[in-house]
Amino acid sequence: MNGIHDLGGMHGYGAVEPERNEPIFHAPWERRAFGLMLAVFAGGAYNVDEFRHSIERMAPADYLTTSYYEHWLHAVETLVVEQGLIKQSELAAKWAALGKGGA
Amino acid sequence: MPVLTKAMVPGLLTTGGSTRVNAAVAPKFKKGDKVKARNIHPPGHTRLPRYVRGKIGVIETDHGVFVLPDSNAHGKGETPQHVYTVRFGAREVFGATAGPKDSIYADLWDDYLEPA
Repeated sequence: MNGIHDLGGMHGYGAVEPERNEPIFHAPWERRAFGLMLAVFAGGAYNVDEFRHSIERMAPADYLTTSYYEHWLHAVETLVVEQGLIKQSELAAKWAALGKGGA
Repeated sequence: MPVLTKAMVPGLLTTGGSTRVNAAVAPKFKKGDKVKARNIHPPGHTRLPRYVRGKIGVIETDHGVFVLPDSNAHGKGETPQHVYTVRFGAREVFGATAGPKDSIYADLWDDYLEPA
């Protein structure tokens, strides 16, 4: 796919600046996202290539403005719906509840 | 559905979910061969970056046999084949203002390449 992920050679993004003393996880949710991805992978819902391709399919503006583990979370959410494990309406209801301060 | 157990985790993390395949598949190329990255634009998943398509390089290393992402991402099977590190001159890829002695190395699947 000639998608937004294929950035090699593009101009305008500035220098690559690795984060100094980067922790393995910036926040507890990143650790959970990592574990979630592995658990659902081990469960056979997707292979690594399907996983990567689901990230490539993000809306370009979203891809560029979200972090590594936000990409992973997007991938798991997309694939479990596409695989029929969860309904999009269930995800949407949960997002709405979280947005209102729920859990 | 299989369940991830604690015992499975260290192995999964150390292999990084490697897609190496233990299959006797013949390589089309060998170290030193001149190759051209194909000018293909699949709408689905590929790991052939646009900036090397149509460019001529040299096979540097044969890494062995791996699952082809282009088929595996779309439920079309593993199509196992050799993966090579291909060395491209920087000027071949990025034009006359690139460093004259610089190289770009890309890891590319057999199907992405044709003889040059």
